[in-house]
Amino acid sequence: MKDVFTEIWESIRRNKLRTSLTGFAVSWGIFMLIVLLGAGNGLRNAFSQGGDQFASNTMMYGGGWTSKAFDGLKEGRRIRIDEKDVQLTGSDAFAAHIDDVIATVSTDGTATYSNKSVSVSIEGNYPQRAKMEKIEILEGRYINDKDIAGKRKVVVVAQNTAEALLPDLTPARELLGKHIKIGNFSYLVVGISKSDRMRGNNMIAAPFSTIKTIYNKGEDIDDITFTFHGLNNEKANEDFENQLRATINLRHRAAPDDKRAIWIWNRFTQNLQMNKVGSILNVALWIIGLFTLLGGIVGVSNIMLITVKERTHEFGIRKAIGAKPWDITKLILTESISITAVFGYIGMFLGMLTCELLDKTIGQASVSIMDEKIAMLVNPTVGLDVAIEATIVLIIAGSLAGFFPARKAAKVRPIEALRAE
Amino acid sequence: MLIELRDVNKTYNNGQPLHVLKGINLNIDKGEFVSIMGASGSGKSTLLNILGILDNYDTGEYYIDGRLIKGLSEKQAADYRNHLIGFIFQSFNLIGFKTAVENVELSLFYQGVSRSKRHALAMQYLDKLGLADWASHYPNEMSGGQKQRVAIARALITNPKIILADEPTGALDSKTSEEVMQLLGRLNREEGVTIIVVTHESGVANCTNKIVHIKDGVIGQIEDNRQHSASVFGTSTIMK
Repeated sequence: MKDVFTEIWESIRRNKLRTSLTGFAVSWGIFMLIVLLGAGNGLRNAFSQGGDQFASNTMMYGGGWTSKAFDGLKEGRRIRIDEKDVQLTGSDAFAAHIDDVIATVSTDGTATYSNKSVSVSIEGNYPQRAKMEKIEILEGRYINDKDIAGKRKVVVVAQNTAEALLPDLTPARELLGKHIKIGNFSYLVVGISKSDRMRGNNMIAAPFSTIKTIYNKGEDIDDITFTFHGLNNEKANEDFENQLRATINLRHRAAPDDKRAIWIWNRFTQNLQMNKVGSILNVALWIIGLFTLLGGIVGVSNIMLITVKERTHEFGIRKAIGAKPWDITKLILTESISITAVFGYIGMFLGMLTCELLDKTIGQASVSIMDEKIAMLVNPTVGLDVAIEATIVLIIAGSLAGFFPARKAAKVRPIEALRAE
Repeated sequence: MLIELRDVNKTYNNGQPLHVLKGINLNIDKGEFVSIMGASGSGKSTLLNILGILDNYDTGEYYIDGRLIKGLSEKQAADYRNHLIGFIFQSFNLIGFKTAVENVELSLFYQGVSRSKRHALAMQYLDKLGLADWASHYPNEMSGGQKQRVAIARALITNPKIILADEPTGALDSKTSEEVMQLLGRLNREEGVTIIVVTHESGVANCTNKIVHIKDGVIGQIEDNRQHSASVFGTSTIMK
């Protein structure tokens, strides 16, 4: 093998400029491929960051407006879901798929602590929500069953809300154990949760029973969230959603197929779709990258053809003294693969460096849209898998680039090769 | 018989069919020092190419050491060339970016001989031809005679059955030509190497022990030249 590389080195050394110019095209191709895939990954990560924070097997629904006349009632009627819907959702009718069902009530208000106040959205929640929405507790705890049973006036405050209530530059944990005022009542802060980047509002969570009682919500609730199992594809999910919609709609005297009477938000199918979009994006980027690389490969193929032409006489000598066709093919192929691999790796290295740079710059920035902070790129880098795939691509590309020139070199008859000059 | 040609015919079909070899019958024994002599267009180069398994023939039979050389695959032909034949060319055909010793090693490289072993052997052959000091020089740093001696070393290193020399003195001056021919003669005498020289120069042919005349694709007279008296210019010079 060392002999083969000595031969390649001798050949490349004689054509430094030509080799490096072509090599640049290969480097550029791989560089583009890596940067594109890195940026694509960043985009996908930013995309799915919202989705990631929920348990993927939850569904949520709430009341909407009817869009169809049904049972003697006109369209455009407001549907309000209530406690009976919670019971219905948790009943035997759906027991095959539904596990936990919880309801939420929410109201807007103003929270005040010492001399600062902010407008907040207060949600009456059950303890299970912490798991369903993967709420991260930074300090203290979340709502628990005793809070629900005792209708305790306790709250879990989001980090950014807590910081807004405290004097500037005071850490959020300072609010733990303190009392804040919302409306006419005082609540004990029992926990600080991580701010939810997807929701811009200042969030405060309180026990469901407390909010329902204080704000006199009666039977009405805002939305119902439940976890489910056994629905593994889009079809199964759609069938299940239709069944659920029909049941709830009928209870509210709405057409069973009225998609606006209640809205259903299925995180599982949403994730599925997001993944699908992500993989389409990935495929598109691979295609663009590979086409960029193709330019480089054609270049390598081209110089290999020139090399073969220039060295025909030499190959004739080699054949005369006993080189088999495969010896000649091997010479050209390994040279082609070596050029592609070496310059490809340079491109890959620079590409990964650029991805890291992207991560350090754009990856840390975010844009504000309607008070929501949205990251443009999250971790826009490629993994080892892409590096391995790119290596395979390079080897295939190099063989492809060398194949026709090598065949040409091997096929020329020694007597003709010897005559060539 | 080391070499046996029986009614070998060769026609080139480049537009007008050209019947180059018209039934060649030739026997060459082991240890012979033969020249094939003819004018240009006589078919001597074609004959050499067939002898060297660089070209194939249409009809007839060609045996080397009892082995029929016919319809071989490129791979097989390469293998036979490598093991049975050593070539010496008019234009030396050394590889320009390889040093003298690397050029000599190349034949062994294709036999799969290890790096150190073939290097040692190549040095030994260069030394034998008085070129040990030139081993690491490139061909363009050497004189014509030196280059041809490197080529001879390369031909000899695989210990082939036949050495085929195609106008070995064609690119050399008369003094060097003489030296090269004397070297070939000595190799034949002292080591019993079978050598076939193709030439159009009678002086060169005169250095060999047997002269095969070829004309218009047919073998004419076969002269016994052990007295080295064939040249009209005298026995000891190669006229340029």
